[in-house]
This record gives sequence, C-alpha cells and structure tokens, in this order.
Amino acid sequence: MWETVLSSLAQGFTHLTWQSALLMALGGVLLYLAVARGIEPLLLVPIGFGVILGNLPLGNLAASDTGGVINVIYNAGILTEIFPALIFVGLGAMIDFGPMLANPTVLIFGAAGQFGIFLTLLLGLQFFTRAQASSIAVIGAMDGPTAIYVTSRFARELLPAVSIAAYSYMSLVPVLQPPIMRALTTKKERAIVMPYGEKKVSKKVKVLFPVVAGVLMMLIAPMGAPLMGMLMLGNFLKESGVVGRLADVSSTVLINIVTLLLGLSIGAAMLGGNFLQVTTLAVFGLGLVAICLDTVTGVLIGKLMCAVTRGRINPLVGAAGTSAFPMSARVVQKEGQKANPRSFLLWHAIGANTGGQIGSVMAASVLLAILSNTPLAG
Amino acid sequence: MRDLAFGLTTTVAGMGVTLVTLFLLTLLIRLLNRLFRPDEEKSAKT
Repeated sequence: MWETVLSSLAQGFTHLTWQSALLMALGGVLLYLAVARGIEPLLLVPIGFGVILGNLPLGNLAASDTGGVINVIYNAGILTEIFPALIFVGLGAMIDFGPMLANPTVLIFGAAGQFGIFLTLLLGLQFFTRAQASSIAVIGAMDGPTAIYVTSRFARELLPAVSIAAYSYMSLVPVLQPPIMRALTTKKERAIVMPYGEKKVSKKVKVLFPVVAGVLMMLIAPMGAPLMGMLMLGNFLKESGVVGRLADVSSTVLINIVTLLLGLSIGAAMLGGNFLQVTTLAVFGLGLVAICLDTVTGVLIGKLMCAVTRGRINPLVGAAGTSAFPMSARVVQKEGQKANPRSFLLWHAIGANTGGQIGSVMAASVLLAILSNTPLAG
Repeated sequence: MRDLAFGLTTTVAGMGVTLVTLFLLTLLIRLLNRLFRPDEEKSAKT
C-alpha cells in the first residue's frame, strides 16, 4: 500500500526528463528577465510561466495535451488565428495615424522596412521548405501577431520558435538598430534637422482613413484582411469618438487578456522534445538576419530619399519603417538627438513606424497569397 | 541556389505590391487632406 502511495507521489520526479528540466530552467530565465530586468514583462511573464507549466510531467498542461486547459486555449486561439486578429483590434485602438496622415511621404519607409522579410526568405529557402522559410522570414516584420498568424497557418511545427524569436527581437530593437544606423550614416546625415511642425489633420480624415484605406488594402491583398480589418476596426473605434468604451476596452483589457492567453499557450508549446533542436537555433539566426536587414534597407532607402530631396530627409527615419511600434521611432529620435541636440525626429519617425505596421501586414498578405497557391514543399 | 525562382518571384511580388499599395495610400491621404481641411472644421464650428 505504502509503495503505491510513494510511487504515485514520486511520479512527477521520475517522469522528468533532462530536456523538460532544461526548458523549465529556460522558463525561469524568461521570468527573471521580465521581473528583474523589466524586459517585455507583459509577454515574457506569460510565456515563461507557460514554458514551466507545459514541461511539467503528467501535468496535462502542454499545448499538445489533448483536453488540457492550455490545449483548449491553444486550439481555440492560436490554431484558429483568433488571438493575432484580436491583438490587432487592440493595436488599432492604440495607434495614432495622425503623424502619417499629416506627412504621407513617410509611408514609403513602411515598405523599405519589409525588404528584410524577403531577403531572409531567399536565405531561408536554402535550409527550409517554402512554408517554413516564409514563416521564419516574417519575423522580419518585427510584428509578433503577424508572425504567429502566418506560422500558425503554414508551419505550426515552428510556431514556438518563431513567436519567441519575433517577440524577443522586438524587445531588442533598441540594442540591435543603433549600431547599424551609425555604421551606415555619417554624423552629418544623422544631424539633419527635419522641420517639425505638427501639421493639423482634419477629424474627418482620421475617421475616414481606417474605412477607406482599409477597404483599399483588403481589396489588394484579401489574404491579410483578418489582420488589416481588425487593425482598422480598432482604429475606427478610437477615431470615431462615439464608442469610447469599446476603444478603451480594446486598447487595455482585450489586448491584455489576449496577450496573456497567447503568451501562456505559446510558452506551453515549447516542449523539451520539440524545441531543443538545431532548427530552433536556425530560426533564431535567420530571424536576427531578417531584423538587421530591415534596418539596413530602411536606412539605405532613407539615404536615397535624403539624396533625392537634397538633404531634407534624415536617413535615420528610414530605420523606423518597421512594425516595432513605437520602439523603432524612439530609437530614431534618440540617435538623431545624439548627433544633433536640436533635432526632433520623433514626429516623422512615428509616421514611418505606423507605415511599417501597415507595410508588414501587406508584405505578409502577399506571402500568404503566394503560399496558398503554390506547392508548399518547395 | 535552392528554389531561387520561388524566392525571387515572391520578393519581387511582395515588395512590388507593398510599395504600390503604400504609394496608393499616400495618394489617398493627400486626396482626403485636400477634401477635408482642418481650417474648414474650425470655421464651421465658429
């Protein structure tokens, strides 16, 4: 009798593998980074805790444990692609398109920041299938929900690695971008002062933009409509001014709850057996390449615009044409002020940054459209 | 290079569509800004 009791109590320990233990330790590191270092706590706390829960033996808490609590959340939110779409409602309610509407020229930088996705795709195709390489390349969008959306549709086996890489690198934007920006520009270029005058935009334009522009973009790339539609819905809730409660809920409660559930279930999908592989390292490596290339091409296009406009555009603004909102814009502002304390680039950089948000969804939509109509094995 | 045709096609199509769409958006925004000027709203209120 006692033997049965003891063996059942020891089951958890006897079923613990070294891979699970290592992943639980990794979960602990993520919690440490979030709590002690303050790195992306809203994401790393649920992901870190999810990793620990998912790797507990016999806990039935892994994302793959049929019928388990987290499995239900994972199936309902990630595999159905509902979580990324809901996060976009919250993002839309948080984003102010004002700077972009006042100075639409900066929208072009939103395209420059997507080059990294496609250059990484070319590289990724050497090691992965088309679907996998495309999913990894979308890390370059610097947009967690978009990366999860594409990966959950075409390369679910890479979902934990891609989502962790996407969110980790997003949080590392203030570390990754400045050296590239400094290496590719001269001090004279970084010191260029762009005229700062907060141009007024009509309220009607702000209200009409999410509807008219949203419809146009969804007609051009229908595959991205679930993300673009939700982004524009969130923005319309905010700008219409008649549903303040819905806008508030979307930008706070909704996005927080979905981020918690998304992080938890992604974390619980990182299991010792499937995460500790060379493939994971390759995903992280290519993801880093994608994000660096985004910055490189953004700055280079910025230099081109600088030359075309005879020095009226600071090339640093090009680095903000990514989806890492508003981190990239802040980095541009900081680097610009380092070179010239009179320079105030934030307004222009925020415009490029919102353009990057739109550009990343467009780029992902094209990838989705192409992948849906071609053999995936490659 | 492996699967170069797919990679290049996707790159050209992806960047092309993204660039064209964002360019169309800039035109749309300029049109909206021209149709609805902030000054008119102010004068309408007063």
